Amino acid sequence: MSAAEHLGDLLSALADGELTSFEAAAAQTHVTQCSVCAAELDDVTTARAFVRGLPQLDPPFGFYERVLRHDRRLAAAGTGWKGRRVAAAAFGSAAAAVVLLGLAPPRDTPVSPPVNSLVEAHATGASFGGDPLSRLAPIGVPVTFRR
Amino acid sequence: MADEVVPTWEEIARSYGRFLYTVAYRLTGNNDDAQDLVQDVLLRVRKGLGSYRPGSMEGWLSRIATNAFLDDVRRRRRRPLELLPDEPDRVTPPARAADVDLEAQVLPDDVQAALRRLPPEYRSAVVLSDVVGLSYQEISEALDVPVGTVRSRLHRGRAMLKKDLA
Repeated sequence: MSAAEHLGDLLSALADGELTSFEAAAAQTHVTQCSVCAAELDDVTTARAFVRGLPQLDPPFGFYERVLRHDRRLAAAGTGWKGRRVAAAAFGSAAAAVVLLGLAPPRDTPVSPPVNSLVEAHATGASFGGDPLSRLAPIGVPVTFRR
Repeated sequence: MADEVVPTWEEIARSYGRFLYTVAYRLTGNNDDAQDLVQDVLLRVRKGLGSYRPGSMEGWLSRIATNAFLDDVRRRRRRPLELLPDEPDRVTPPARAADVDLEAQVLPDDVQAALRRLPPEYRSAVVLSDVVGLSYQEISEALDVPVGTVRSRLHRGRAMLKKDLA
């Protein structure tokens, strides 16, 4: 029998009960007469049994709780995935602004302290204070303020 | 009728979490990718809950999971990135003694590793058929391919698995 006459993927369909009763009967007859197809049918049913025999798996402990908690937080914050993208964009803009401010050269801000009035106020206070040190202050008053 | 009540996203996560994680693990072959896939599925589920028609929840979930998995595979093909399984030494199982019965020695980890080595399209068909238990017609609808393509992928996938595990 040539390879072209072998059943090929019809063998899996036969094993899975996916052929019509007429097709299945014809395929069964063929398999009893063809050792190649019989071996192939055995292979695919064995492989199928391996996969069907795999156990169910438990997700890592707390996995779904973490997922649900995360989702609730997003819902409470009113941010879905789209909202989070907007928030991320806003954060990015803010970060960029901070960087720009940080990179900008420092500017000199003119400062003009009222030096004269402060000196005058100090001299006045010192002149009339009652403490021993203040009594020494009038010595300097004529020099500084009485031109 | 109770069967017609559309479950909430949380109920799905709690009631079908184990099933969903199992399907995700069988498709991806490692824990990290399985967790990512489950989260992706839950997001898609939440968006698509309105379109859910009461029926086989497991069929619906596995359909979403497989499509999310294949979408990810296509993305990775555009941006190739080789991922290693959890335990790389399982990729090349040690040679077996010829006189030992194959079925007696094949372990679930060996089967999982062989499953992971299948092309993703074949793996999806095998998982939907032999892990989830969908019919060819249901797999055809889930993967949006003709029934003949399902039959071909399934058969080739099983043949490759058997050869790999021999």
